[in-house]
Amino acid sequence: MAGMANTRADQEAKPVDVSRIKEMLNQKKKMKLFLSVCASCGFCADSCFLYRNHRDPRYMPSYKAINSLGKLFKKRGKVNRETLEEMTDLIYGRCVMCRRCYCPLGIDISSMISWARTICRSQGVYERYDVNAMGSDR
Amino acid sequence: MYEFVRGPMMWIAFAICILGLVYQAYRLIRLTRRKEEIYYTSESKGLSVSEKLLKFFKGLLRGIRNWPVAVKGTVIGLQPLLAILTFVFHVCLIVTPLFLMAHNILLFESWQWNLPSLSEFATDILTIVFLICAAVFIVRRIFVPRVRAVSTLWDYLLLLITLAPFLTGYLAYHQLIEYETIIIIHILAGELMLIAMGVTKLGHMIFFFFVRLLIGSEYSFRGGTRTW
Repeated sequence: MAGMANTRADQEAKPVDVSRIKEMLNQKKKMKLFLSVCASCGFCADSCFLYRNHRDPRYMPSYKAINSLGKLFKKRGKVNRETLEEMTDLIYGRCVMCRRCYCPLGIDISSMISWARTICRSQGVYERYDVNAMGSDR
Repeated sequence: MYEFVRGPMMWIAFAICILGLVYQAYRLIRLTRRKEEIYYTSESKGLSVSEKLLKFFKGLLRGIRNWPVAVKGTVIGLQPLLAILTFVFHVCLIVTPLFLMAHNILLFESWQWNLPSLSEFATDILTIVFLICAAVFIVRRIFVPRVRAVSTLWDYLLLLITLAPFLTGYLAYHQLIEYETIIIIHILAGELMLIAMGVTKLGHMIFFFFVRLLIGSEYSFRGGTRTW
């Protein structure tokens, strides 16, 4: 496996590519618009089976989207690796991408979580199921 | 002061509201522009627009006829009381100012034209119902953990901005505070809400009509392109 230079360890050594994140955020400008429309009504909570099981606001679809992609938009992509690592707990650890979250305003929450995952993965940040199958603090 | 808030300020508020809503709608349409061919399942392949619409309404009708299944897992099914409260809140919000007698008298004085009016007793009841709903929402936002977790300062502020014209209107109608002062505050509060409609998330009043069509297309792995 000598040809695989782009390992996780290699990526961890690199700083976060802010311009790449900005570019990826620009590809999904409409998600910024949709996030700005969120009425924070909390109705999406019950559509998430993980929330229904845990009853912890961190499992709410809107909480996950606002604190991952929403945060990236708010900081215009200027985040460090620690911030991305923190997001991983939400978007990988507290979401299984079943796409069943329901928003009364019609916001597609799961696609935002999915895009936040893609952005994190582009920076070499992702859930290490091989190290800790159940995630970080569960 | 009264002349200013009734005259130029009113026009400014309406202009910001309408232009803001038009811009927000334009932005939504532009950002969701179709970029690639849509993949249809065999069922809806090759259907014309009218056939698709017919299919949509048939599905809607099927949902209404079979409502216990249709509402399962949705907001109406899980929290019926809160869903009804939200509905009542929005109906009161739109109906009360439009069909209020005093507003229509002002309209007639200015343009010799007015909308039908409800009786003052009816609008009084609607206002009280609205205020109760708003109070429930504020309490819910503060004390229900899942709503609190996603609430920002703006959410509280916008709820207060929406509530202010109704509260001041109620006080003005019953003349509980000196009328001259409260009516100016009432007009300003209304104008503030109009401005907020144009530039903040209160613009969801215009998105409502889009999202009913958007849900189906956005929620089905079609690359996020507009299918309507």
